[in-house]
Amino acid sequence: MATTLTPPDTDDTSVPPADLPPGLERNAEKAESRRGFLIGLPAYAYLVLFFAIPLAIVVVYSFATRSPSGLTVLADWNLRSYVRLTDSLVLAITWRSLWIATFTTVVSLVVAYPFAYYLATRPPRTRAILLVLVMIPFWSNFLVRTFAWRLLLSSDGPVTRILEFVGFANPRLLFTPTAVIIGLVYGYLPFMILPLYASLERMDHSLVEAARDLYATGWEAFRKVTWPLSKPGVIAGSILVFIPSFGAYVTPEVLGGTGTTMLGSYIGRQFVGTASDWPFGSSLSVAILFVMMIAAMFYFRSGGKDL
Amino acid sequence: MSEMTEVTTTGQTAAPAPTETPAVSLHAVTKRFPGGKGSEPVVAVDHIDLGIIDGEFFSLLGPSGCGKTTTLRMIAGFEYPSAGSIRIFDEEVGLKPPNKRPVNTVFQSYALFPHMTVAQNIAFGLEMKDVGRDEIQRRVAEVIDLVQLEGRENRKPKQLSGGQQQRVALARALVNRPKVLLLDEPLGALDLKLRQAMQIELKQMQEKVGITFVYVTHDQEEALTMSDRIAVMDSGNLLQVGSPEEIYDHPRTRFVADFIGETNLLEATVVDRRTAELGDGTPVRLDSDAATGTAVTLAVRPEKLGLVRADAERNHDLDAVHGTVDRVTFMGNAIAYHVTIEGGRIPFGIEIRQGNAPGIEHFAVGDEVRVRWAPSSASVLED
Amino acid sequence: MSIVDAGSAPAVAEDSVARPRRTVDRVLAGNAWMVFAFLYLPILVLIVLSFNDNDRVGVWTEASLRWYGEMFQHSRIMGALRTSIVVAVLSTAVSTVLGTAAALSLERFRYKSQRAFDGLLYLPVIIPDITMAVMLLLFFVQAFDIVLLVTGVGMSRGLGTITLAHIAFNISFVALVVRARLSGLDSSLEEAAADLYASRWLAFRRVTLPLIAPGVAGGALLALTLSLDDVVIAEFVSGAGTTTLPVFVFGALRRGISPLINAVSVLMLVGSILLVVGSLAISRRRTGG
Repeated sequence: MATTLTPPDTDDTSVPPADLPPGLERNAEKAESRRGFLIGLPAYAYLVLFFAIPLAIVVVYSFATRSPSGLTVLADWNLRSYVRLTDSLVLAITWRSLWIATFTTVVSLVVAYPFAYYLATRPPRTRAILLVLVMIPFWSNFLVRTFAWRLLLSSDGPVTRILEFVGFANPRLLFTPTAVIIGLVYGYLPFMILPLYASLERMDHSLVEAARDLYATGWEAFRKVTWPLSKPGVIAGSILVFIPSFGAYVTPEVLGGTGTTMLGSYIGRQFVGTASDWPFGSSLSVAILFVMMIAAMFYFRSGGKDL
Repeated sequence: MSEMTEVTTTGQTAAPAPTETPAVSLHAVTKRFPGGKGSEPVVAVDHIDLGIIDGEFFSLLGPSGCGKTTTLRMIAGFEYPSAGSIRIFDEEVGLKPPNKRPVNTVFQSYALFPHMTVAQNIAFGLEMKDVGRDEIQRRVAEVIDLVQLEGRENRKPKQLSGGQQQRVALARALVNRPKVLLLDEPLGALDLKLRQAMQIELKQMQEKVGITFVYVTHDQEEALTMSDRIAVMDSGNLLQVGSPEEIYDHPRTRFVADFIGETNLLEATVVDRRTAELGDGTPVRLDSDAATGTAVTLAVRPEKLGLVRADAERNHDLDAVHGTVDRVTFMGNAIAYHVTIEGGRIPFGIEIRQGNAPGIEHFAVGDEVRVRWAPSSASVLED
Repeated sequence: MSIVDAGSAPAVAEDSVARPRRTVDRVLAGNAWMVFAFLYLPILVLIVLSFNDNDRVGVWTEASLRWYGEMFQHSRIMGALRTSIVVAVLSTAVSTVLGTAAALSLERFRYKSQRAFDGLLYLPVIIPDITMAVMLLLFFVQAFDIVLLVTGVGMSRGLGTITLAHIAFNISFVALVVRARLSGLDSSLEEAAADLYASRWLAFRRVTLPLIAPGVAGGALLALTLSLDDVVIAEFVSGAGTTTLPVFVFGALRRGISPLINAVSVLMLVGSILLVVGSLAISRRRTGG
């Protein structure tokens, strides 16, 4: 009978002690964990050496002193570099970076949302082709793409010519904040399109039909269903555009002028030439890093996982 | 429990020779998974003992999260038990990695290697065991013949239908001639018709190859159709082990009665070894060792109940309670009556299912009826 | 949704409900065309102008290959190009191996310090280029000072430091891409391999690796592109003698533009587009077969 193999279920307590001492499986799992750790170790070690330690050095430098000749003295630790963060010049540059980055983000969103919506509602084959067409400029050289705008916006470039033709007197775009914003939107637009596309494409479109069925107009269906459901994409895209725009270095250098210095280029200037001030540049870097971490935190909080 | 023994001896689980070593034996096996941050570990499998006889088709049946898959994964080696012993033909394998165990698995998702052809998938295990090329070819051809996949050797899994993928998964495991084949809800992804066809086919194949099958499923019908024996699990515990007939006709606990098939539960109080009474004193018969006055729950399957008009002649061999038909549902192959019984402390409903053969009396809503059953059809539950 | 296929509108009677949607669809399509124009026109203008014979960038005279000729004669440009390629290939090779290993380690195992490593791996992705550049500059300056002090050997920034810096950010990007692929891979495939007697290493080589190969290739392509794209970090950690091509172009742009830069830009553009299109074609053929 079956019960010769399966002990009667009446008594659980009288079972002889387990053949396998408890905790032994823990050892097997530990060995497994160790193996996983060792596989990752080379990458971690590399990042500790070439990322974590450099980061620590920047923090150390931010407390150091600049000698009159421009060299950095690793002694006499002080907070002077941090105090300078509140200089009116620094505040003005920070403020400018902030609004240029915000403006860039808003423009990108306004342009990218309908585009992503259009993309997400195409038949699959068209969708794939259009996506590749979005990606190709994104994969081509950033500096070159920015440089192309310098050609377009220059005083004898096509955009200026067209504006003159339309009737603007002496239109000047290059070296203005407008040029920088155009360049940033151009550079980071795919960062906005892709998360928006992902969230819109994932959306169940019968939800919109359900809303229409329940007497919503097209606009109401969008506002009450599509928009709230695409919000994670909006947040992710906005942060992905805002972060690099805020720390931009190349774009303002190529398209901007003296009046459009942004934080990124300002930091860069602290490390080159005779006016260099490494401790101050370091404290600026720490500050900007701090802002980025907060933005990134929002990004992860919003459910974003990868680029 | 004299009844129990009666059924068991007529069931398929005729006593194995006492000396025979079980194909798989679990002894006090427990699996705890670390809980979330700061919380208690979750006990997925709680101290279970189980012996699976060589050559039988054994099912682990239970709702999702009951520990059946974890149990299977511990036998396969994908999880290590937190305590206890797992033996396969008397060899302790508890902490052996899966590639060192004489078992093979058919996965729920089939887990066919998408980058390999059908033949490459099937040959994989033999290659890993360093079987010679000619031998591999011969055995792969043989097993492809067995699962009737001739002509599809060079297809990729993606190019096959669900049923064909299922056969490849089966062939890939069987070709290694495992001592035990583990199947994790292998028919779950198939549609109903195909699933029913595959149930029969799987059972026939198991008889043909003579390998012990350990089959995990949450589908009670599947388990009843295919198994030699079934173990019903719930929240990490083994509730009952037995032949399909035993499990179905004589569930031992409320959970088993409820999970397998449909059932009517009647609360009664024991009068003596052969009698109990409902709330109003209506006597019903049963077999119980419980002391007089003990409250027990009886379980009776709807199709084991008979229905006669209240004024019909009494048959004293059958228990009978009074009631009123309050719902009639036509089900095609049967008619289900919902009858409200006044006999309890509070009125309760029971479901009766009658075949639809000519000559069987039909009832209408409002009819006064007597519900009756053979004493052996009622099981006394332990909880 | 019913606006999915606007192009093939049926010739049946237009009902009044479909009308406003069609307007919306037109606006959407118009916006899409403008976005594509915005994305591609600047590149087209750049390409056209690179064939302009005139010394002034904006004044068109006649088409010629003059600037391309000058570019290939220009020893500094060719040197920078060589540096760029060497750095990109080396940093891609190293970061692909390390990044893939890190992805495997994080995605397929559980251990204590995992969360910390996860964070360490993500940081280089979100950190602004300029901060990373400053960090690495200070690190190399400090490290070389120490080396000089201890061993008396003077080291200078150049190809080596650029490569090391590029590996540092590329590991993270490779790991990110490979992890996405790994997390989409049914882990029961690896269990099936183990169940069929494959050792850890064989299961990886025969099952996991072939299946994550597109992800690894994608990660490598991203690493290659990022390395060829980078200006800021390379500018800070390169020495006086060795620069990469983007750093050279960036420097030239600061001094004012010359048509020569157009030609160099088109070279870089064509290079990166060829890379992407080529890899797309390869991946398509592989999945198609």
